[in-house]
Amino acid sequence: MCGDPISDSAPLLSRRHFLSHTAGGLGGVALAWLMNRDQARAGIVPAAGSARLPHFTPKAKRVVQVFCCGGVSHLDTFDHKPELERMHGKSLEGKGENLGFFGQPGKLMKSVYEFRRHGQSGSWVSSLFPHLAGCVDDLCFVHSMFAKSNNHTPATFQMNSGFTLNGFPCMGAWLSYGLGTENENLPAFVVLPDPRGLPAGGSINWTAGFLPANHQGVPFRTHSREPIADLHTPASIGGAAREADLALLADMNRHFADDHPDDPTFAARLRAYELAARMQLSIPEATDLDGESDATKRLYGIGDDANKGFARNCLMARRLLERGVRFVQIINGGAFGSPRINWDGHENLKENHDTQAATMDRPFAALIQDLKQRGMLEDTLFIWSTEFGRSPATQGIDSPGRDHHPTAFTCFLAGAGVKPGHHYGASDELGYFVGQDKVTIPDFHATILHLLGLDHEKLTFYHNGINRRLTNVEGEVIRGVLA
Amino acid sequence: MNRRRQSFPSQVLQAMTILMLALTPARAEPPPAASSAAGHWAFQPLRRPAAPAGIHPVDAFVHATLRTNGLTPLPPAAPRELLRRVYFDLIGLPPTPTEVAAFERECAEEGELENRPTGKGGEKAGAHGSGVPAFRIQPAESAYARVVDRLLASPHYGERWARHWLDIVRFTESQGFEYDRPRDHAWPYRDYVIRAFNADKPYDRFMREQVAGDVIEPVTADGIVAAGLLVCGPWDQAGNSQANATQRAITREEELEDLIGVVGQTFLGLTVNCARCHDHKFDPIPLADYYRVKAVFDGVKHGDRPVEGAVDAAARTRRREAAQQALSAAQAEVARIEADGARRAAAAKPPVRSDEPGPVPLFRWDFAEAGPAGVDGRFHGGAMLADGRLQLPAAGAFFQAPVLGRDVREKTLEVWIALADLAQGGGAAISLESADGTQFDAIVFAERQPKKWMAGSEGFVRTRDLDAPEETTSPGTLIHLAAVYSADNRVALFRNGEPYGQPYAAGPLVTFKAGNARITLGRRHLGGSNPWLTGAIRHAALYDRALDAAEVATAFRAGGFVISTAEILAHLNPEQRTAREQALAQMEQARKEIAAAEKAGPLAYAGKREQPAPTKVLLRGDVKKPGDVVAPGALTQFPTLPGDFALAPDAPEAERRRRFADWLADPRNPLPARVMANRVWQFHFGQGLVTTPSDFGLSGARPSHPELLDWLASEFIAGGWSMKALHRLILTSATYRQAASIGNRKSEIETARDADNTLLWRFPPRRLEAEAVRDAMLAVSGQLNPQVGGPSFRPFTTSEYGATFYHLFDKGEPEFNRRTIYRMNINSGKEPLLDAFDCPDPSVKTPRRGVTTTPLQALSVMNGSFVQRQAAELAKRALQSAGGDLPRAVNAAYEFTLSRPATATELTRAEAAARERGLASVCWALLNSTEFIYVR
Repeated sequence: MCGDPISDSAPLLSRRHFLSHTAGGLGGVALAWLMNRDQARAGIVPAAGSARLPHFTPKAKRVVQVFCCGGVSHLDTFDHKPELERMHGKSLEGKGENLGFFGQPGKLMKSVYEFRRHGQSGSWVSSLFPHLAGCVDDLCFVHSMFAKSNNHTPATFQMNSGFTLNGFPCMGAWLSYGLGTENENLPAFVVLPDPRGLPAGGSINWTAGFLPANHQGVPFRTHSREPIADLHTPASIGGAAREADLALLADMNRHFADDHPDDPTFAARLRAYELAARMQLSIPEATDLDGESDATKRLYGIGDDANKGFARNCLMARRLLERGVRFVQIINGGAFGSPRINWDGHENLKENHDTQAATMDRPFAALIQDLKQRGMLEDTLFIWSTEFGRSPATQGIDSPGRDHHPTAFTCFLAGAGVKPGHHYGASDELGYFVGQDKVTIPDFHATILHLLGLDHEKLTFYHNGINRRLTNVEGEVIRGVLA
Repeated sequence: MNRRRQSFPSQVLQAMTILMLALTPARAEPPPAASSAAGHWAFQPLRRPAAPAGIHPVDAFVHATLRTNGLTPLPPAAPRELLRRVYFDLIGLPPTPTEVAAFERECAEEGELENRPTGKGGEKAGAHGSGVPAFRIQPAESAYARVVDRLLASPHYGERWARHWLDIVRFTESQGFEYDRPRDHAWPYRDYVIRAFNADKPYDRFMREQVAGDVIEPVTADGIVAAGLLVCGPWDQAGNSQANATQRAITREEELEDLIGVVGQTFLGLTVNCARCHDHKFDPIPLADYYRVKAVFDGVKHGDRPVEGAVDAAARTRRREAAQQALSAAQAEVARIEADGARRAAAAKPPVRSDEPGPVPLFRWDFAEAGPAGVDGRFHGGAMLADGRLQLPAAGAFFQAPVLGRDVREKTLEVWIALADLAQGGGAAISLESADGTQFDAIVFAERQPKKWMAGSEGFVRTRDLDAPEETTSPGTLIHLAAVYSADNRVALFRNGEPYGQPYAAGPLVTFKAGNARITLGRRHLGGSNPWLTGAIRHAALYDRALDAAEVATAFRAGGFVISTAEILAHLNPEQRTAREQALAQMEQARKEIAAAEKAGPLAYAGKREQPAPTKVLLRGDVKKPGDVVAPGALTQFPTLPGDFALAPDAPEAERRRRFADWLADPRNPLPARVMANRVWQFHFGQGLVTTPSDFGLSGARPSHPELLDWLASEFIAGGWSMKALHRLILTSATYRQAASIGNRKSEIETARDADNTLLWRFPPRRLEAEAVRDAMLAVSGQLNPQVGGPSFRPFTTSEYGATFYHLFDKGEPEFNRRTIYRMNINSGKEPLLDAFDCPDPSVKTPRRGVTTTPLQALSVMNGSFVQRQAAELAKRALQSAGGDLPRAVNAAYEFTLSRPATATELTRAEAAARERGLASVCWALLNSTEFIYVR
């Protein structure tokens, strides 16, 4: 616990003393509790693992992550490979064991899209993303990503939680644990699932794992009148009656808390009900897009069927970020059924990516622009990520599809603390292996935590014998992407 | 300091939103180097300290530590508080008002038996008071002791404590990962655990059964189900079935790490799994020990298996064999009659046999014209040569040719076969497979579509369902089949010389390597489930090229053995027809009998077992860097207990686990008794004597009361590992029976000295766990369905979209009002109310739950339809019990929920609310109240 800025005890005792005399209100209850915990840490038996302040001054205060289910082809989006064009139709040789999930590679296939340079940075982007192409000068591409698994769910888990297994806390949960929330009336970690369907594994994808349950992601039903479960007072109970009921309850709970001064948790329950009542107002307000201008709605493409409701989620993300939500995860794509509703272009890459890009390109570009024009790109970190890339060879002879490909792919960051219009790392000539500056997922995570003022080696939680980290025992901050 | 102050508000905000208790385990100082591991307290033999006479031993140890720290314990809790506490602790349900009243009355009658600190008349001595009050040992016959006995005998005790155990072993009822398929047969393990607690199964046996119950003689149904522990966690179905061998191997390694983790942490309190890539960083567990333990469990695979003891299994085998014999006899009879008919038909109209020679195969196996030397290959499992055919009479029979002498890629498989019946499915007439069976091309009957042929292959990569007619040829009649695999990956099937379905292009052909592949007749592939075909094969051939359609037709005509069933029947006399009909009926009957005998009773998700290849150390845990072979064994670095089983690396799978079970339960093993005694303590006091309950290693916490822990562990073993005796021991102590607070005075001195109450100067209040919250609501509303055991209730519908999705609903029917432990525990189907009360992720090993207080939790109790319904039901119940009198009904609602009457002030206020908005409003507030969801 060395270096933990709140682990020394002396100032805390005085702080505690101070509070026990001044804090008659509800806030004081939680503070008193906090003090108790701090004291426990410094007291009779040493303690470990708890929420903490940033380790150093952060560049980013909040995060929005777009996660693309299924695996977006780096070769058909942001990783331009002239050599692959030259080798089109030839055999893939000299790369060792086939890495695909289905294990039946055909011939090399050039990108199914045209690539052009864009912006002042001259970044290559394929014709798949005309709107995102207009944002390249704000983006920082990492072309040398490397995933552990070629299998959807372990790869998804790794990108989101650092581990390929079930049950490890997701990045949003770690940030909630590490930094808390800036707006107590909204959850710290909000997930906006694709309106077409949940990703495979559903809620496993935003679990808090072994972290306390309050850090888990709260999925918003972005197209429902009740964005989260049990938000609204049941229709059968009138508003006035509920208020009277709450007053009765508060009275009971206050007396009980007053009668048990040794147990500050009892008073914290009073506070939780107050916050719950406030969430009943703040969540509908945050998710109501009616007040947005027509220009804004047009920018995102609200009402355009092609984006399948994804525009709503992007605009909602901006509203949540504005209101202090720490981590908003927007999921692009659903589970692996038929027809495909994610980026898993096994059979026909072009057909698949055309459909998926139509959902994402414009709304996502709009989100970047909108945050920028509001000055929020300064302290908001953008993450665009996926499971893995796709193979330079076709899946099967003469097939127009590509199989999974974990050993080189592209993600990008943007916003707070990140070099704009920059390209970091490279895949090899065919986009098969990392060519230079390999970035593992733990490296990627370490960098994200760093931008939020957290040292990935110090953000730990004790669980079954190990001080667990988002980055396990690996990870190095990618200095080359930092502004 | 500035920095701290700047960031303070966010910390504060978080703290106000969240109230997290009891999640910061006490930890040891920075772990000492591994060399000092031998001296680590938890690895030392148990020492049973002497307990002073005249005082309950638990109190002797606890009070001594309190004294040292200048603290004194609180006086006993009031009877109704104590009763509520012990009810929730032992059965997870509140006492009824009648039970509360009876207990209060009995305690009053016992009078002085209630322990009081001397001379203070119930007022607690200050922390600086003169020594510890004298606590008497609670007499065994006291009202309280009788309650403890009654609760321990309740079937609800097992339900309560099984839930704790299921947390520790991360019991899940769905696969997790991508597909998250439901496990319909996982619940028997949950019921086993409930039964074990209720029956007070000795803990050493409980341990042994869970690692090796399926192989410890005599094998019982209970033992088989118990070993379900080994597979009760998540399983990556997609990762285990993908084409990439390295990634498959990694998936399996991670599965085993999880399994070794659960065994090590649950029973030993050691993170053995941390030694997969390198020697354990803190504990004396070298890399090789990890792989020794891995060898023990290397043969454990996921899946359902039948639950039956050895006796039942033997009876079933006999029944199956008898039916099989009857089937074979009837088949032979049909074949004999039809052969006679066929001979006469052939005599009447000789079969048209082409003069044109057929194409020349690479190999041919001709059973009709087998010379004295027989056919080149071996007969297995009852396969034999008779009547000029390879007879495949029953499951398990197959013929295997010698390994190929050259590589084969494009090819044609050809076979003349007579099926024994058309109801079968999954078997192959002919299969070209790699030596380990992981790659194959085969002509398969009715595996995916009933009565249709297809080109089978590993993971169906070269397989398509065909739009082709169902097979109708009567049993015993030969048909000709060919599967052609072309260089361009096209696959074409032919039946009797004609195309069968459309040719298609699928996954690329694989090269079957010389020396590593062979032709098998009658089995789909090695290791396949249900791979057997029954029937008879006249001849089979392998061509190392793709025949064209004309060549296949020529091959068919060159065979020329086809006589239609109609022709055969036309040449049978009436007696023969009757005999044939009878034999066919006997076959049908025998098949039903076989099917019945194969259903080995109920299934349980207890896993499958295989004899694994010798286990190798993987350097840095890398599947591509195998090192030395290791023999199955246990941990080797504990001085008092050898971990070497003296087994060979290829020792039988069952023996490995039996030996490991013995090692676990060996009285010289100091860990299991300590670990379990600590767990029991933790679930009574909210915090263990060791606060890292699944980590007793060097990086875990030190015990707060080392002597007490050793004493409890020693008593545990001395009491025959009886859990119930251990409960009694703890529950009868004054430490357990003491109050949680005195009046409404703040314990300034005590909280200053021991804010966490680690030393137990008072009873620590605890919030009910998620399940107990829900169960208690059902109990007080009168809606609880007390049915014990059986399949889980499913408060959801499902849909499939590649993965399984679970759509929750809330219904008030009795089925859904069972205790929460019976709710199907789905990884992606968590219930918001339970979730909000920190119900753990099913795939996380959770030896100790988090406790949070959040707005989302408040919302789910405020607005969730379940709580609304229970409030309404409680109101009805209270009114009924009060004969419709509102003030009495209000009071009854207090009695039901809080185990106490309402005070005068409460009554006035609540009655006014009930008159204004209905009694359900008051009940809603009571169910939401802190007093209801906390136990003190």
